[in-house]
This record gives sequence, C-alpha cells and structure tokens, in this order.
Amino acid sequence: MVSRRAEKLNRFGYLIAFAFVVMATALFYPGREHFAKAQWALLYQLIIAFVASFCGVKPALLAAALSFLAWNFFFIPPHNTFAVNDPKDWLSLLVFLAVGVLIGIQTGRLRERENEALAREKETALLNRFSAYLVSDISEIEMGNNLIAEVTGITGANCIALFLSEASGKPAEFAATPGAVCQRAPTVIELVEWVYKEAKAVGLPDITNTPDATFSAWPISVKHNATGICGPRNEIFLPLQTSTRQAGVLYIGERLNQAAYSIHEARLLVALANQAAIFLERRYLQKISIQADAAQEADRLKSILLSAVSHELKTPLSSMKAIVTNLLEGDVEWNSDSLHEEIQALQSDLNRLNSSIGSLVDLSRLEASEWKPQMEWYDFGEILGSVLADFPQRDRARIAFSLPEDLPQIRVDFPQWERVLYHLLENALLYSGDAPVHVGASATEKEVRMWVEDEGPGINPAELHSVFEKFYRGKSAANIHSGTGLGLAVTDEIIRFHGGRIWIENVKPHGARFVISLPRTPPLESSK
Amino acid sequence: MSAPEKPVKILIIDDEEQIRRALTSILSARKYAVFAAAGGAEGIDAAIEHSPDLVILDLAMPGMAGMEVCRELRTWYFSPILVLSVKGADSDKIAALDAGADDYITKPFSAGELLARVRALLRRAASPTSPTPLIAIGELEIDFAQRRVRRAGQEVELTRTEFDILAFLAQNADRVVTSKMLLEKVWGEDYAEDTQTLRVHISHLRKKIEPHPSVPRYILTEPGIGFRFSTQ
Repeated sequence: MVSRRAEKLNRFGYLIAFAFVVMATALFYPGREHFAKAQWALLYQLIIAFVASFCGVKPALLAAALSFLAWNFFFIPPHNTFAVNDPKDWLSLLVFLAVGVLIGIQTGRLRERENEALAREKETALLNRFSAYLVSDISEIEMGNNLIAEVTGITGANCIALFLSEASGKPAEFAATPGAVCQRAPTVIELVEWVYKEAKAVGLPDITNTPDATFSAWPISVKHNATGICGPRNEIFLPLQTSTRQAGVLYIGERLNQAAYSIHEARLLVALANQAAIFLERRYLQKISIQADAAQEADRLKSILLSAVSHELKTPLSSMKAIVTNLLEGDVEWNSDSLHEEIQALQSDLNRLNSSIGSLVDLSRLEASEWKPQMEWYDFGEILGSVLADFPQRDRARIAFSLPEDLPQIRVDFPQWERVLYHLLENALLYSGDAPVHVGASATEKEVRMWVEDEGPGINPAELHSVFEKFYRGKSAANIHSGTGLGLAVTDEIIRFHGGRIWIENVKPHGARFVISLPRTPPLESSK
Repeated sequence: MSAPEKPVKILIIDDEEQIRRALTSILSARKYAVFAAAGGAEGIDAAIEHSPDLVILDLAMPGMAGMEVCRELRTWYFSPILVLSVKGADSDKIAALDAGADDYITKPFSAGELLARVRALLRRAASPTSPTPLIAIGELEIDFAQRRVRRAGQEVELTRTEFDILAFLAQNADRVVTSKMLLEKVWGEDYAEDTQTLRVHISHLRKKIEPHPSVPRYILTEPGIGFRFSTQ
C-alpha cells in the first residue's frame, strides 16, 4: 500500500535530505568560479524542492537548513568559512533561507496531501468493494473469507480470524487465514471471549489526542493491559456488534512488520467490522423471519386442519351414524330394497370421508414439503385412463373426452397428477347432476392446457378466485350433500408445485370449465 | 370361480382387528377358507401350519414389518402374496414387489377390487404355464393359440412384440406387471433396463386395442412400477 512506502520514505527522509545536499555540494563545488553565487543559490533551492516532493515537509526543512549552511560556507565569500563579508550577502542568505523553507513546506504539503488522497481513495474503493460484495447473494462463510482477505491486505498480519456467536452463547472460530493457528492460543481465545462479553474493542490506537478523530462510530476501546488477561500485545480484537446483537469478534494477529496502526488503518478496520456485523445481523433477521413464517404457516395449517376435521369429516360421520343407528333401532322391519338404499347412502358418505382424509393427508404433506415428486414424461391420456378406472361405471359413462392425437407428453408426478384429475372430475360430476362431463386438452409452443368442463350451474363470477381457497365451498354448493373444497385446494397446491396454474371459466349456456395450464419444458429435457 | 370343491385357503396377516374382520367377512362369504394372524411372526407360523394358497399381508405392522415377513415367507413359500399398502407410499410398493410380493392393493379398497386381485392371483397360480387359449374382455378378444386379437369383432394387426406384450399382460390380468418382468419376458434378460422402448411399444399397442387411443382402459400405467391389464 501507499502508506507503507510513505512510511519508509519518512524514516529515511532525513538521510535522503542530508545525502542530497552533500552530493549537490560536491557536484557544485568544482564549478564554483564559473557562476555567480546567486546562481548557486537557485540550484540549492531546486534540491530543496526535490527533497520536499519526495520526502515531505520535515526532511525538506532539514535540506533547507543544510543548503543554507553549505551555500554560506562554500559559495559566499570569504569561502570555506561561515563568515560573511558583504552585508548585502546577509540579506541574500536570509531570503535564501526563507524561500527554502517556504518551498520545503509548500511542496512537502502538496506531496503529503496527494499521498493522503491516494490512500483515502484506496480505502473508499476497498469499502465499496466489500459492501458491494456483502449485498450480493453470498453465504456467511464466503463473507468471512472475503473479510479476512481484505483485512490481510490492510494489515499484513498473517493470522486473522473471525469468531461468530454460537447457539451456546459463546463465540467460536468461524473462518481464519488458511493455515493460521495462533487464533487458537488460550490467551487469544480468552481475550476473544472477553471482548465478546464486554462488547469493547482491544488494541485499537488511542484517538483521544488526535484532533481530527471526531467520528462517533469509534467502538469503546481499551488497551491490552486493561483486560486483565495479559500484558502488552500488538493484536486487535474488534467486536462485531449492532445495536441489538453481538454477532462475533474479529481477531487480527500481530503485523509482520510490527508497525503500530495508524488512525486511518484502524478506522478502515472498524468500518469493515461494522459492515460485516450488519451483514451478519441481516442474515440473523432473515433466519428469524423464515422461522416465524414457518411457525405462522404451521399455525395456519393447524387451524385449517381443525376446521376440516369439524366440517369435512364430521358431516359424513354424523350421516353414517344416523343411518346405522336407524337400521339397528329394531322398531322397523326393513325390506331389502330400502336396506340397499340405506347402504348406498352409507357408501357415498364413506367415499366422501375417504376423499377428505386423503386430501387432508395430501395437503399437509404438500405444505410440509415432505413430498418427493418423481417427475416423468407421460401422456395426459395415460393418466386420465388410470383416473377413470377409479370411478364407478355409472360415473365413467358420464365422462366424455376429446384429446388431440399429437398432444405432447407432460412431465409430472403421476400419482399427484392423478389426484388433480380425480378431484376435478369428482367436482364436475358432483355439481352437474346427470349431465355429461367433458375432458379436453390442447397444446401451444409454450404450454399444455387441460380442462374439465361440466354443464352445471357454473360459478358465481364473484367466487371465481376464492374457489381454490382451502375449504371454500361454493354458495350454490350449500345444499349439495358432498363438499369438495378440500379437493380443489389440493389440486391447486399440486398444480403450483408443477409450475402450472389453474383457473375457472364459466361456459355458455351454463357450466364451469376448470383449466390447467402447464408450461412446456424445453425439448432438450424431453429427450431423456 | 364360486364354490370351489376343495376350499381355497387364504391367510390374512394384519395387526388391525377391523381389517381382519372385514377381510374375513368378504372372503368367507365367497367360500374361501380364511385364517387370520395378528402379527408377522404369528403369520409365518400360520403359513407353516396351514400352507395357504394365498397370503394377504399388511405392510405397516408394528414389530416384524410386513416387508420382512414377505422376504422371510419367500424363502420357502411359493404361492401368491398380496400386499396391503397405504396411498402415497409408492416406494413401499416397489420394495414389496422386490421382496417377492405378487401384487399390492391400496387401502382403503372395495370388496370388488380385493376380490378381483385375489382371483387374478389365484388364477395365475393355478395355471402358470398353460394359459387359457382365449380371453375375452369387453369388446377385446385375445386368441393365444392363433396369436390373433379382435376388437369388436374386427381383426387387429399386431406386431410380434406387441402381441407378446399384450399376451403377457392379459395372462396376468388385474395384476401388476413390472416393466422389468415384461422386458425380460418379451425381449430377454439383457433388456431389463430399456423401459423407454417398452413405453413406445405400449403406446403403439394402446393405439391399436384401446377403445379410445389416447385414454387407455385396458392397459393402465402403474407409475414407476409397470402396467396393469384391467378387466374392470
């Protein structure tokens, strides 16, 4: 980094200033007689400007002082002595010194500001890069590794580790510089736990004497010896904290060059740690909200199940109980015709009970995502054939179908798709008296459409959308024996699961058409 | 099939008393001799004692699981095993067939369904090698001796492979036939994996014999398992 090169220049700056002036003097000395003394002064000023632009203000001032002495000694008569004959030379000397100092200060400042600006720009770029990385879709471990790489770039420390809070309430190592082990030293772990508990940083440079250190974001920081755990060290422990939560601790081991941290470096580290903490906080909140959603969904399901049990199951049960107790009452002599009729009624109740229980199981399985679908390519008619086999002959006779010969195959889970068709057919048969039910299909480039159409009363336009809500039973269904609200809810879930959708159209003169649209998967996939 | 001279013996292994009672009632009314066992180990003992002609086995039982009973029975018992499974547990059905079961029926079932399965299994067991020379189902007529098929009196042209498939399915009518069984029977052991080819042939076959070419009535798909020739 720029700052490290600048440090080196600072350390050797005085030496460089000294060397420059000595060399320049050695170079100028042989030509002393050829130019006037004032011209030598200009050359010395050039040297001061050089030193200033390379080494900054303080070496430049040294160079100015040395040049002043050298010019006086070698070039102002009498030569080789600091004595000055001509009083006018005193004026020249004073002006020389003043100009030298001014050049040194101005040029040196310029250079320092430029370095400063470069360093700030790099810091900003780094923070930008890191924050852009954080808002992209990354995992916590990716974030951890990236953070460690960035911190390594800033500090040059060869052991950096990220500790995150665990369910146990203690921070545990989550990511570290590859191969590093020093973060596992007992004293380090003890300090990490201390920092985690106290939410105070350890080892950051002291900002109390820094005039421009007005940032309030500086974490509460203590010196190493204030932790009571061990003596002076050169490591940094930064708590990753937000206002609500302690997310972990960032540990930065000793730097290879042992240099102390500048305020700028420390500020950058704090900024990175804060960004990491915000990222972790966001992840934590996401996790919590997912859990809350799941809990809410479970609650919703529970209340649905409750209402289902009370309605969809109890109705047929009550009816069955009434029929059976009636038959067993013993006060009536039942002839075989009416007996048969009663038993027929029992069977239809049973079928309804069976269908409802099946749907409830399906629904809870689908919603708990416990279903592992086996998607395969099938002909729609193939599935329809299997479904029709489940209906009694009487119902089968009412179902008419017209499927185009070249209908493409659909990629579905066969048993689930059977249930979809079963529920739609059951519903259509139920709401249309003895009228026929039509099954059809068509295909375009993008989708396969399948529909089941009845000649019943149709659906009130206001209810078209709510039909698929769980346990919704149409108002016109109020006086019909069997409800299929559950079945349609299952149908809807299954179709969504397959990436398709279902809707209802009313048809003329009367009747409802349930249309399923299933997107056609790209032909590449169909070859397997 | 009614009133066989020597009663056919059926063993029911199910831990649910209601199911045992219902099955016993359905089967004894059709003059089968019914034995019932309430658990796996007990069932195996009963099978040894009575040597039944057919075993009806519930897959979901506490203690010794149905699958285990099936495997154990198959080490010495060669008559048909019909497995009772629950809806949705498709992988269980496959595992049961692998363990040696001959067919499955999904609870809850109607008496008609159960009897059809039982008859299909007994029929097959009674004449495993010499099939009836002619089968007529609905408007379909299959003449095994002459290798001819008629639909509503009309001759249907089938390829050799198609006829072999149809014949094997029809001989196992109302019984599940796995893709593997079909492939081995029609093409030989080496082709047991080529289900895609089989599906193509089945599709052609359906177009020729089904009343409606795209909505099968006879050859039904058993997803992930195979096919079933339905006479219902």
